[in-house]
Order: sequence, then C-alpha cells, then structure tokens
Amino acid sequence: MADIPLVMPQLGVDIEEGQIDSWLKQVGDRVEKGEQIAMVTTPKVNLELEAPASGTLKEITVPADEIARVGDTLAIIAAD
Amino acid sequence: MPKELFVDPRATRRKGSLAFAEVPVHAYDTPFAEERGRRGDGALKEMLRHMLVVREFETMLGTFKATGAYAGMPFVYKGPAHLSIGQEGAAVGAALALRPEDHIFGSHRGHGEFIAKGLSAVAALAPAELIRVMEAHEGGALLRTVETFIGGGDEKAIAENFLLFGLLAEIFMRANGFNGGMGGSMHAFCLPLGIYPNNAIVGASAGIATGAALYKKLARSGGIAVANSGDGATATGPVWEAMTFASMAQYDRLWGEEKGGLPVLFFFTNNFYAMGGQTIGETAGWERLARIGAAANPSSLHAETIDGTNPLAVADAVARKREILLSGRGPALLDVECYRLSGHSTTDANAYRTREELAAWQEQDPITLFAAQLREAGILDAAGEQAMRDGVAEQIRKVTAAAIDPAAAPPVNVEADPILIGKLMFSNREAEPGPADPALAVAAEASSRVRQNLKKSRFGLSEAGEKLSPMRAITIRDALFEALLHHFIHDPSLIAYGEECRDWGGAFGVYRGLADVLPHHRLFNSPIAEAAIVATAVGYAMEGGRAVVELMYGDFIGRAGDEIFNQMAKWQAMSAGALKMPVVLRTSVGSKYGAQHSQDWTGLITHIPGLKVIYPATPYDAKGLLASALASDDPTVFFESQRLYDTTEMFHPGGVPADYYRLPVGVPDIKRAGSDVTILTIGPSLYPALAAAEQLQKDYDVSAEIIDARSLVPFDYDVVLKSVKKTHRILLVTEASERGSFAMTLAANIGRFGFKDLEAAPRVLGSPNWIVPGAEMESTYFPQAGDIIDVVCGELIPEKKVNRRGIRDWDDIALARRAL
Ligand SMILES: Cc1ncc(C[n+]2csc(CCOP(=O)(O)OP(=O)(O)O)c2C)c(N)n1
Repeated sequence: MADIPLVMPQLGVDIEEGQIDSWLKQVGDRVEKGEQIAMVTTPKVNLELEAPASGTLKEITVPADEIARVGDTLAIIAAD
Repeated sequence: MPKELFVDPRATRRKGSLAFAEVPVHAYDTPFAEERGRRGDGALKEMLRHMLVVREFETMLGTFKATGAYAGMPFVYKGPAHLSIGQEGAAVGAALALRPEDHIFGSHRGHGEFIAKGLSAVAALAPAELIRVMEAHEGGALLRTVETFIGGGDEKAIAENFLLFGLLAEIFMRANGFNGGMGGSMHAFCLPLGIYPNNAIVGASAGIATGAALYKKLARSGGIAVANSGDGATATGPVWEAMTFASMAQYDRLWGEEKGGLPVLFFFTNNFYAMGGQTIGETAGWERLARIGAAANPSSLHAETIDGTNPLAVADAVARKREILLSGRGPALLDVECYRLSGHSTTDANAYRTREELAAWQEQDPITLFAAQLREAGILDAAGEQAMRDGVAEQIRKVTAAAIDPAAAPPVNVEADPILIGKLMFSNREAEPGPADPALAVAAEASSRVRQNLKKSRFGLSEAGEKLSPMRAITIRDALFEALLHHFIHDPSLIAYGEECRDWGGAFGVYRGLADVLPHHRLFNSPIAEAAIVATAVGYAMEGGRAVVELMYGDFIGRAGDEIFNQMAKWQAMSAGALKMPVVLRTSVGSKYGAQHSQDWTGLITHIPGLKVIYPATPYDAKGLLASALASDDPTVFFESQRLYDTTEMFHPGGVPADYYRLPVGVPDIKRAGSDVTILTIGPSLYPALAAAEQLQKDYDVSAEIIDARSLVPFDYDVVLKSVKKTHRILLVTEASERGSFAMTLAANIGRFGFKDLEAAPRVLGSPNWIVPGAEMESTYFPQAGDIIDVVCGELIPEKKVNRRGIRDWDDIALARRAL
C-alpha cells in the first residue's frame, strides 16, 4: 500500500497554473487507474485528470475552486 | 465532438454500400379533373390570371428596355431587367401552395416570384388585414398614392395595385418604391406579404433563407422559408454550405425539445442556363439538378425534379414539401424545370442557344398550355380568356402610367438631402435587454465558470501592486464571457454558433462553461462553413432574432466575403431602414501560426460601408463594448486579439465591474496622458505603445499621450484632435499591413482636420506589406516598442537627434515602387 500523489500535470507550454473545477471522487472512494477523478480548468480549456493508480482516494490536498501550480500535489491515492 | 455521440469503430469499419433515397422525376400525375374538383374553377382561372400578370409586367419592362416606350408611354429605364418570361408556371404554382406566413427569398430574376407570392397573399388575407398592411406601410402614404393615381375597386383590387405599383416604383428606384428606391429590381421585397429580400448575388439567398428557417423553428413564428435560386447557383459554395448547415444531424440528434429539421425549401428554378453557361452537359455534372440533394443527408433532402411549365405540378410538390418541413423533417429541395423564353437580360443576343430550341420551348409556354387546359375543360372560353388578358393589360398599363409619373412616384431626392442615403446605413438603435430568464440565471450561478470568475480579482494588480496571473484576475476572455452571459439570460432570441463553439468552448475559450448553462439550440457547433455561418445569422436577424456568430480566425473572413460585405453590411440601407441587422460577428486576430492565421484585416472590414467595427484591448473595454454590440440593432464586427485573451485590467479604477454595463461605440479612450506626442493605437498595439511611452519618458524626456481607438467605425475624432492640439504630433500604430489600413484613413483625416495644430505629418507605423511570418520572426513584422521609439524620436521630434533605426530602416518610397 504505497501512497501515490496525483499532481497537476503540465497543461500547456505557457501555462503555469490550473484551477480545480470539481472532484469527481470523494475521500474514501475507490478509484481505478485511468479513471477520471477531477476536472481542471485553465483560462482556455477544461480537462479531466485521471487516477494515477488503483486504490482508495486517501486525501484531497487542493479542494475544488482552488488554484494550483503545475507539479503541485492535488490528492493522494493509497494504492492497492 | 459531443460526448453523447460515440464514434464506434466496429460500426464505422463494417463493409457495406450506400443507398440513396430515391429522387422522383416528373412524378406528378394527378388528373386535371381531380385538381378541378379540389381547387374549383375560380382558383384555376386565378392561376392563369396571375401568370398573365407576371407575363405582362415582365413584357412591359422588356419593352421599355428595348424600345424606350410601352403602351404608347415613353420612358427610359436604366436599371437591370432579368425577366422571367416562360417561368411563370414555377412562380405561380409555388405561390399557390404558400401561405402569407411563408417567406420567400429570391434571386436577381425575382419579379415573377415577387408578384406571384404577393398575389397569393392578397388572395389569402382578409380585406381588413390587407387594409391594415397597406396603412402600416409608410403611414398609408403608398396606399393613398395608389388610390389617387390608380384606383382599383375593392380592397383586393387595390391591394394588387399596391403590390404592383410598390414593386415597379422600386424597380424604377423611386422614393415610394417598397424599399424607398434603395433596392431596385434585384432586391425588392415586401415583408408583410411574405416576400423577403431578393438578392443580386447568385446563390446568396440560400444561406439567408436557412437562417430565416432557423428563426422560424426556434421562435415558432410559423410557416416555412423558401430559398429561390437558379440552376447556376448549384455551383456556388454558399449554396452547398447552406444545404450543409440546413441538414445538420444535430437538429434531430442533439436538440432535445427543439428537435426537428429546419423548415427551409431550396427551390431551384432550373431554366437550364446560367447566363450563357449550360448547366446540363457543360458547366455542371449533376445531369439532373435534384441529384445534389442526395449529397446532403439520408433523405436526399426529399429532392424531386418537377415540371415547372405546369403550375399544378409545382403547387402539388410545394404543398407536399411544406408538409414535410412543418412536421420537422426538413430541409427539402425542388428542381423545378422550366425555360426562360426571354433573354438572360436585355443585352442577351441568345448566342448560346438555337432557334430550334427556342421554338420547341415556345410550344411548352406555361400560359398557352394552361389556358388550353382551361378551355378544353370548359372552364374558360376564348372570349373569357381574351377578357382576362385585356383586364391584365389594362391593370399593368395603369400601374405603369403611375410609376413613370413623378407626381405619383417621385425620384429619390438626394440633392435635397445629400446624406439621405448615409442616414439609412445604421439605425443606431440599442435594444434594452429584457427581464432575466430565471432558469438560465440559476444555471449560470451554478456554473463553474461563473464561480471561478467570482473568485477572481476584478483588477490586474494585487493590493501589493503585483501583476496577477490570468487564473486570479478577470481577463479579456472572462470579460467577453460576462457580457455574453448577461445577454443570453436577458434576450431569449439570442443564439451563438460557429466552429467549436459548444463543447470546446470556442476555439479560444471565450464560451468555456456556457455549454453548462445554455441548451444546444442557443449555442451550437456549426459546420466548417463560414459563408453559411454569416449568411444564416443575416437571415435569422431579418426575421427578428439576434445572433452572435464566430469566425475562428479573422483570416477566414474571405470565406464569408459576400456574406459580410454584401449581405450583413448592406441590407439595412437597401431596405431603407425596414430591416434591422442585429448580428455580431466575433473574429479573432491570431499570431504565431504564420501567414494565413495571423493577419489583422480590420482594413478590409472598415472599408465596407454599413458595418460597425470594434477592436478592444482591455477587459473593461471588451466587456462594455461587446455588451453594446449585443444590444445594437446594427451589424457589428468585433475583433479580438488572441494575444490579449489573457490580458487583465490595468487601467479602469476598480477593475472590470462585475455588473452589466455598456460603453459607447466609437469613442477612443486616453490610456495614458502626455504632452509631447500623441500615439493612437489600434487593438493590441496599445501595449508596445505603453512600453515605448515609459521608455520615451525615462530615456528621452518625451511625454507621450496614448489613445486607444477601441472602435474603428464609428470614430469620434474630437478626442484625438484635442490631444493633437496639445502635442502637435501624432503616430498611429496598427498591426495591419500599412497599405490601405484603417490607420492610414485615420492619419489622412487627422492631417486634414488637425492641419493647423500639427508640426509634422501624421505618421502610420503598421506592419509591412508582406506576409505575416512565423512566430520566430513576428517581432520583425508587428510594430514593437523599439520601432515606436525610433519613429517618435527619429522622425516626429527630430530635435531629439536620435538616429537609432531598428530593423525598419527601409525606404518606403523605394518599397512602394517594388509593390511592397
Ligand atoms: C456571385 C455572382 N456571380 C456571378 C454573377 C453574375 N450573374 C448574374 S445572373 C448569373 C447567372 C445565374 O444563373 P442561374 O443561377 O441559373 O439563374 P438564372 O439567371 O438562369 O435565373 C450570373 C453569372 C452574380 N450576380 N453573382
């Protein structure tokens, strides 16, 4: 059971930040690798973030509506 | 790209073949006795009379053109005469099946359709309604003229003369023609009788009628729209784009409660010729016009080829297609074969067809054939027919006598009011937004975009004076969104479309989040059909709606050239103000993508009379000016710089108001006060100018006043002239290529109006007259702060003795000689 972080991905060459639009899973929910777990927006686009591993969503570090920088940890998944 | 539509590779890759819905050819075989039983003898006789009215009207025009006189009345008619002699069966047959609420949009050869539709509407409307229509037109003045100079008898007879006189006076470009003498032969129309504008641009009505059908569908205003074109029009891109737009699958698949196809009938009067080009066998490959329906959708647009020499066959087909359209299964197409016995125009020498062919078709003259049918059936004997012909001739003679009499039909008196036509270009009306749609308002509050905007700073700097990122402060993109959202909530007729407008959120994210709030029919993806995007907006507006449409890049303006230049821009004036044109065309000016994706074409658009043109550079201006454009009844082209979408507010104290507001269109804005030189900027040039101003102050002790044009048409020179009075020098900066740019127009006028205050000729700094290079070379193309400093210190204030010339150290006169 390793903790795997979900990080804000590189959203585009010039883009440094993204905003969490919504969490599609709550803490304690089961998630599968590749499943959509959050929506992120940049000034231009909306995109979905996928779970990096299968397991349980252990912690959300950046709640909905908050802005995070590329590379920031957004959530932790307790992997199987 | 909607997610609800799954592109399934297993289904798409399956082997198979396509079958096309059958396209009937001359299938009409209703026995005449049956038609007679259904319609009655009176109606059949009226059909003949209507055909005779069209024939005599066209003969009168042709005779004037050929001999300078008709029925003993001399008159010189200078305008065009595209006559429809031989095509009366198509026009009268179609009109028989149409109701007053059906709207026809036509071509250069539209007199017959106009008259037939008008006569059919006169027959259908109650006398009291006809009087109401005639009294409503110009306060009853035209009706009075008709009563005084022509008379007629009962309401219907008067209404027929009103119709014919209003049309003929318009053809002769008289002040009391239906369109105030501003339309003429190829553009006449009369809205209350369902006769919408005819169009001198081949095929242009197809897209406009499609937009009208969109309005009819959404507003549930009743009836269908008919796009009348010739066979030659099937070759034009805009007709194909219109058919593509009209047959989009989304109307059925994605529009939920608004499900159903557009009620538009593409009615091709196929006379086998397009001027001298022969569509069958020479300039087209379809062999049978109706075949093109098969390309559009699985129903082949319900296409049929029908016999236009027989008005009953046409009436039958139009009635059936009308049913299809009204039940939401449109669009439909009819290929109506008939023959133009007259020349294309009065200069036609018939070099392209033989006497044998003409003679063969003379035998198929729809009037002769139909009169014979009535005679054989015992409905109208020879004496009765002659009496009918005499009556029609007398009617046309009386109408003509009035139309050439200046007392009844005075010429447009431009000498008495030299800007009379100018005053018709714009209504300058703004419609106040109505009450909020509560459901939309609630949906908007819940939308993530609105929530995000609420958390953002309204100003671009933090309290500590640091520049905020576009995630944390309202940007131009957000400001535009706010203006749009307000209008969507307060104006139920407003619709938005263009390429990538819905799920993608507009190619540059302006609409991002709007799809969460608006149903499909108010925000949708259009096909990649720029001509149809603009033409449909024009048709939607003619019917009373308001549309904001998007051309992804300004570079694509050429793809909608006619629609912007001739349609959107001109109909207000060509209708003498009867039509309004509440269309906002948003288009972005790109950069970094090279020559075909980065061009500032404000010069092209501002050159066209009839368009208002806005190009904001700050969020405050963008929101207030877009709101004004969306409230305006005048057509507006709204330029947006892609480089500025992330720009935050740096000027307006307090930032961009969260509440709704509008800014006056046409008033330039001083963005930085100064005293030594005025720099007037267009669009994004504001920012290099500001950077230059800082440096000019610091390094050269030059105080620059910066004025942001904000709007290009209209333009209030006073702000600039006041500044020049103080500074005595002006530089205009634009990203457009200099030659023919709007900055050049401004410079010439400022030189003239401010001559006595100027110490140097106004100077334009724009982009050079060559292609926009790729991103790596853009700084050598678009004016930079350094270029601005060079010109100010090197040319405008020579006493600064600054000789630094950047890359633009070239000889403009020598370049001009080399076509550059
Ligand atoms: C876009 C455009 N191209 C060319 C013309 C010149 N023109 C006027 S009518 C015409 C022929 C049109 O043929 P068709 O559509 O078959 O209609 P018809 O004249 O036979 O009624 C042409 C080429 C025009 N008015 N508009």
